[in-house]
Amino acid sequence: MAGIGFELRRFLKKDSYLGLLQAYGCAALISSGPWVLSIFGVVAIGAFSIGLDADVSIVTAFLISVTYLIACSIIFGGWVQLMFTRYISDRLFDKEDHVILPNLLGALLMTTVGSLFIAAIVWPLFSDTSLAYRLIMVSNLVILSNIWILVVMLSGLRNYNLILGSFFIGYGISVFSAISLRGYGVEGLLAGFAIGQSIMMYMMLALLVREYPAYTLISFDFLGRKKTAFYSLAATSVVYNFGIWADKIMFWMNPETSEAIIGPIRSSFAYDPPIFIAYLAIIPGMAAFLLRIEADFVDTYDDFYNAIRNGKSLSTIKRIKAEMIDTIKSSVLEIFIVQFLTAMTIIYAANKILDYMGLSQDYWSLLSIYVVAVSLQVILMAINNILYYLDKRIITLNLAILFAISNLIFTAITQHYGPAFYGLGYMGAVVLTTIVGFIVLSKKLEKLEYETFMMQK
Amino acid sequence: MDLKNIPKLAKGEEADIAFVLEGTYPFIRGGVSSWVHQLIVGLPQYTFALIFLGDRAENYTEMRYELPDNVVDLSLFFIMEEGSPPQMATHKGSKPLFNRIKQMHNSFQKGSEIDFGQIVRMLIKGSAKHEPITHADFLYSEEAWDFISKQYETNTSDSSFLSYFWTIRVLHIPIFVLLGAVRKIPKAKVYHTVSTGYAGLFSAMIKSVTDKPVILTEHGIYTKERKIELSQVSWINDAQEKFGAGLSDDFSYLRRLWIRFFETIGDITYKAADPIITITEGNRLRQISDGADAKKVSVIPNGVDLQRFKKVRDSRPEKAPLVIGFIGRVVPIKDVKTFYRAIRSVSDQLPDVEAWIIGGEDEDPKYAEECRDLRSSLGLDDTIIYKGFCDVAAVMADVGVVALSSISEGLPLVILEAFASGRPCVATDVGACKELIEGATDADKALGAAGGVVDIADSEGLADEMIKLFDDADYWQQACTSAVNRVEKYFNEDGLFKSYEQVYSTALEK
Repeated sequence: MAGIGFELRRFLKKDSYLGLLQAYGCAALISSGPWVLSIFGVVAIGAFSIGLDADVSIVTAFLISVTYLIACSIIFGGWVQLMFTRYISDRLFDKEDHVILPNLLGALLMTTVGSLFIAAIVWPLFSDTSLAYRLIMVSNLVILSNIWILVVMLSGLRNYNLILGSFFIGYGISVFSAISLRGYGVEGLLAGFAIGQSIMMYMMLALLVREYPAYTLISFDFLGRKKTAFYSLAATSVVYNFGIWADKIMFWMNPETSEAIIGPIRSSFAYDPPIFIAYLAIIPGMAAFLLRIEADFVDTYDDFYNAIRNGKSLSTIKRIKAEMIDTIKSSVLEIFIVQFLTAMTIIYAANKILDYMGLSQDYWSLLSIYVVAVSLQVILMAINNILYYLDKRIITLNLAILFAISNLIFTAITQHYGPAFYGLGYMGAVVLTTIVGFIVLSKKLEKLEYETFMMQK
Repeated sequence: MDLKNIPKLAKGEEADIAFVLEGTYPFIRGGVSSWVHQLIVGLPQYTFALIFLGDRAENYTEMRYELPDNVVDLSLFFIMEEGSPPQMATHKGSKPLFNRIKQMHNSFQKGSEIDFGQIVRMLIKGSAKHEPITHADFLYSEEAWDFISKQYETNTSDSSFLSYFWTIRVLHIPIFVLLGAVRKIPKAKVYHTVSTGYAGLFSAMIKSVTDKPVILTEHGIYTKERKIELSQVSWINDAQEKFGAGLSDDFSYLRRLWIRFFETIGDITYKAADPIITITEGNRLRQISDGADAKKVSVIPNGVDLQRFKKVRDSRPEKAPLVIGFIGRVVPIKDVKTFYRAIRSVSDQLPDVEAWIIGGEDEDPKYAEECRDLRSSLGLDDTIIYKGFCDVAAVMADVGVVALSSISEGLPLVILEAFASGRPCVATDVGACKELIEGATDADKALGAAGGVVDIADSEGLADEMIKLFDDADYWQQACTSAVNRVEKYFNEDGLFKSYEQVYSTALEK
């Protein structure tokens, strides 16, 4: 016949390209989970050391040094984590298990080189500290950065028990060896900390090496493939993590609110102490988050995309979407309730907590404000994570930018108005970003089928 | 594509006639292609442009015909190649324009009148108030989404939405490719499409924009052939198959959607084209029942160059040479296997018989391989001989009977060539075969039968008819004479050229 004998089947194969690779984010965990656990460990080292015979100024220098290490490793190393997670979840989705280990080693190598690079840049600033201090700090930076990667990997595998177990053992050893070495001053405490952390790092690495097959030693694929997608993830991570630390950094850098501790490291006694206590308040919310978002929401999310892939009718797809939205609503509500109760309890007991920690009652209002702020941050985390699942990378990037900038601006304003307002900057930024995030999320959910189907080439 | 010396019109130049060709000339051999070539060569007083529509460039790498000198332009468009898809971005889309598109679809579904040309112009150029609707609007806009999902809910609310969605998208790719191609066509005074389908749709689009006359010549009924194809394909995933109700009296929704698409573009072509020409009386009636305006439809049968076959025609032997000619490509539509089985039966009666396959095996290598295997298993390796492409006029002197076992044909040129050579033909009852062999009108029938007609896939019937011609010399002589008389009276190439000269000069005056 006259006519084209084309095979339209070639087009219908597009079904399988339906861009639904899952953004197994756990993005929220990446930025906040592990280091909340770390605070416990670090505070424990400090408390035990003081309880024995260590000098308060040495313990303070240790605490602040570790805080800087955590901030630095998270802000500068977080992007590798996020890109890496995304890559790993895609590969697991494709059932390409054998590429995971080489890429893990690639990510670890890159992180190590990156940390050393940062260390080299700031090295001259530490010229008035001892060489031992500097070397141990560098070691700790490398170890911590690598630990975040490993934690991300284990979170991606939803192997939370292993994470907790490793942290428990690692910090146990850290506390023990730091206390044993307390006679060597701040260097001793940091060295002890490093010993525990490095054991923890190798422990997690060993578990992962045992778990996954590999044909090659090392790979950097996680940086490649879909470049633009990954770069936006990387940018989001850096900006978001910077956003979380922005107010703290401003208080450290502002001479009126801070003092020098060791080398270029400064601390803000008007700001830091209650904040780290406040961060511990997010643990109940994190648990709710894990249960609700990472379990219930993910189930309905899978249902939604499976319904599409398996050729269900549009009305079924819409019904499952409605269920998914209900799950999101109830999850957020549950996190809210849990955090509300936690925050109320902490605020109610704030006086006693401050007493117990040996801190001034002047911190009461800052502690209360910050507890409310970090509680809301769990909700922001949940929203962000859902957006990652829905693959709305540009939105999460914009939210991160909004968060970072509003934190900088609001914190500057509070610094201007004085101690009574401290913490409100951070809280304002969290509230603003959460509200905007919520509005955007509900808009996106409303148009979810439209975007899922139509935004394909 | 590595094609050298493609003729191109210079800027501002215009061809007399532009053929709009879908998957045929000059890249694919076949009856339609031969006819186009014949017409271009036979009407040297006109210049021709060729607008070729293919699916993908990779499938058309070599021209099968040497382009005559009066072909002044060859333009290629590939309707399944989207190029780089438009920039992806969510947007609203224009409500008034989409409303107009909705009206158009409504009219397709209900068969009511709509100004197709106005919509094409709106799609390409926009209207006074609005930007044109682009492929991006179709792919990414919220208006398009609303329209697609509402149509789904109205028409087939419980089938797979994913399949529906992609079917709609795939269905529309060629439309937007063609809308984009309208600007790039060579200029011509008349556009002549050789099928409905995409070529017909494209011609209708061209007419809407250029306001030039469109002529349609339909050899086979395109829409009917698409329907047959679509009823057999397996790539349409439909619910029916899954639930094992494939024998139901109705097609599934997606199949019907495809069929309706081809029916619709067929209808658009019939509305745009004037005159509508076909090659047989049967086809003319079919076109009218498919909605073509009876006043516009006429028959111009194919023709053959009688001079070319004069030598063989004039030197007819007493008795049929014991050679059966099968002229055609080795492809499934020719049902070569039935022919081989028939040869087995003929060979049982007439052990010295030979069957010559005159045509290529390269189009469907897998099928050709199967045919060779069948030849061996039937023990016919010495009887069936592959000749490849040959000059039919030269080879016909040694042939006694021409056979055709196709499951689908239009007006097969090979029968005309057999007749012009003074040879009878045995064919399956498809297309115009019966009209050709037995005669169409009473006057035509009076000329006598020029062979025999059997049912599709009836290898025994085919064998019997061939044996009859070989066994009975008088019958063979009579059939040969009928063949010559019929072809001289009704299928002379000069008649074809005269008819089209008339058609073209009328159109050129418009």
